[in-house]
Amino acid sequence: MANELPSVYGGEALRIHLGDGATETEAIDPGDARRFLGGNGFAAKQIAEHVPPEADPLGPENVLAMAVGPMNGTPFQSTSRGVLGFVSPMTNGFFDSTFGGTLPRAQKTTGFEVITLHGAAEELSYVYIDGDGAEIKPAGDLAGLDTYETCEAIREAEGEGYDTHVLAIGPAGENEVRFACSLHDSEIREGVAGRGGNGAVLGSKNVKAIAVSEGSFEPEPEGDLRGRAVQQMGRLMEDTEMLQEYGTAGLVNPINEMGKLGQRNMQTEQTDPENAEAVSGETLKTEYVTEDTTCANCAVKCGKHVTVESEGITDAKIPEFESLFGTATLQEVYEIERVIAANDLCDRLGMDTISWGVTVAFARECSEKGLLSEESPHLSFGDADGLVELAEKTAHREGVGDRIAEGSFRMAESLEAEAEKYLYGAKGLEFAAHSARGLKGMSIGYATGTRGGSHHDTRPTLQYDGNHDETTEGTPEFAARSQHFTALGDSLTQCRFVSEGGWGPRINENYTEAINLATGWDLSVEEVERIGERVYNLERLINVSRGVADREADTLPHRVMNEPISEGPAEGMYCPPEELESMLDEYYAARGWNDNGHPTTDTVERLDIEDVAETV
Amino acid sequence: MEVELRYFGTVREAVGESTERRSVEAGTTVGSVLSDLEEEHSGLEGLLLEDGGVAGGVTVLRNGTHVTHFEGVETVLEGDDRLSITPPVTGG
Ligand code: SF4
Repeated sequence: MANELPSVYGGEALRIHLGDGATETEAIDPGDARRFLGGNGFAAKQIAEHVPPEADPLGPENVLAMAVGPMNGTPFQSTSRGVLGFVSPMTNGFFDSTFGGTLPRAQKTTGFEVITLHGAAEELSYVYIDGDGAEIKPAGDLAGLDTYETCEAIREAEGEGYDTHVLAIGPAGENEVRFACSLHDSEIREGVAGRGGNGAVLGSKNVKAIAVSEGSFEPEPEGDLRGRAVQQMGRLMEDTEMLQEYGTAGLVNPINEMGKLGQRNMQTEQTDPENAEAVSGETLKTEYVTEDTTCANCAVKCGKHVTVESEGITDAKIPEFESLFGTATLQEVYEIERVIAANDLCDRLGMDTISWGVTVAFARECSEKGLLSEESPHLSFGDADGLVELAEKTAHREGVGDRIAEGSFRMAESLEAEAEKYLYGAKGLEFAAHSARGLKGMSIGYATGTRGGSHHDTRPTLQYDGNHDETTEGTPEFAARSQHFTALGDSLTQCRFVSEGGWGPRINENYTEAINLATGWDLSVEEVERIGERVYNLERLINVSRGVADREADTLPHRVMNEPISEGPAEGMYCPPEELESMLDEYYAARGWNDNGHPTTDTVERLDIEDVAETV
Repeated sequence: MEVELRYFGTVREAVGESTERRSVEAGTTVGSVLSDLEEEHSGLEGLLLEDGGVAGGVTVLRNGTHVTHFEGVETVLEGDDRLSITPPVTGG
């Protein structure tokens, strides 16, 4: 093991006790840097070591870790994202959610690679962090403010404008809506840590926001990586043209063409081309986009602002592809101006548009089938006004909104058994837009994802190119290796959009060379892949210890396993139980896990995580 | 016979249309349609075909199914087929 920490690392972990404001620092172990890299890996290690297996995700024993990666602030583009790691109130397992903007770049300069929040503040507060440490400041007067208002109020209070980089929760987080998110309003692009309920965890800790001011640490790459970075940049700009022009919304039309874009709570997976066109990236660009926005250290500028006069919206964040699935197609709402309004509202209230959208669509189907006792005038599919009304109700836990605020799985538990048939998610987390029926790699990837229904464990990108979309052959290993790829990328805190385009959708020489240039290590491609595998196994071990990861839990919802896609180009596709079981056998064997999906002692030893495994 | 072509994203910008119906001879392949498009529109030159196949990341669907699941560029079109063409998309 290396015994010196490479100079791209700030060197310390900062622990903040919210109850009394005490802080401690701990030096980053050079061996840990090499084993876990940063970001996702560092966050998972903190959660493994500090959260007891029985801790309530919404109780003070949960910990929220905010981590950055080793290439943050180096000439390599798009590597300056941040990671929030925590135990999720949706899945009760480990979760990491990433975000962009400028805060992670500022965190890097404080020298604190990972910052952890422990316990709970006595009253609503915000946490202020700079190069000297942290301070808990009262935020009682910010109660009820939305995410943007909160960021602005804290910037005003600190008096440094956008040099105070703020990540805030909205009313949904304060009300512990289980899928509440947090939003960072930076000068150049919004960053949203969208999934898993990190906003609810912050709310349960009485933390309204985290504010970071720059310190004096500047990462220094060990090797001369400038030439390599410039070379990388050329390809990256070429391969991300669609992203630069349309943001992620460019996916709506092509995926609808494939017949793999959920409609009407997944009752079908294709709509008329005119409907898709109405909520597509092409329409957004032509009619509503006013400017491009970007994260720190990224020339791709995939972010966009949109203006909708009829809704009184000026320069709001553009809805991402996943949000268009959750809040438009799944609802059969194709009135784009209302959809933009609902998305803007969710951002302001601080709610994950995927989990919220899928849960609302689930509620609409339960209402259609007579399973929901609440009367709501806006629970029919296609009702655009319902979007806006239900967003407010959810964030404030009013009427049926109080049920929606628990997420679809908990909502189903409170209804007749039939409701379970209409769920669309895994391990308590609603699926993203990439079809669990129409893409075989997503079927096994979602079933085994440590985050549950996340599209950032196994990635869909290669599947849309015709790889492992329609066959189960070799697909379990493909899904596992894609999970290594995402765990590695999130540990590097690299933007996935860019890495898949410019660097490659699999772990390869590009990543290895960049890591070696930045750190001065001499890792092989295999060793770099081992890092991703190690982080993924550590996450799995946390989930095993919490009783949420085994063969029974690695499953898919009823509709995905029992109802083939009814029409369109993907007609007939689904993942019957016997197909899933056989893929699980192959997946566990490829991973070195036992028949129940637990990493074996040999695997834990091979991945050099015996010490951390003991703590979970 | 006639086929329908649907263009998305930057391909649509290069062509200047979102859809078009075009007459082709029986036996026309996906590859020959892509090659014609590259010739007709300067903005598409070298973007759709690469090393004798569909260029990496470009999604070409025949009636919604990726042409790799047929015969790739050798896929022979039939009357009223719908060919959708999307440039490389990342993200989501
Ligand atoms: S591609 Fe988009 S999300 Fe990724 S770093 Fe750049 S601006 Fe941020």
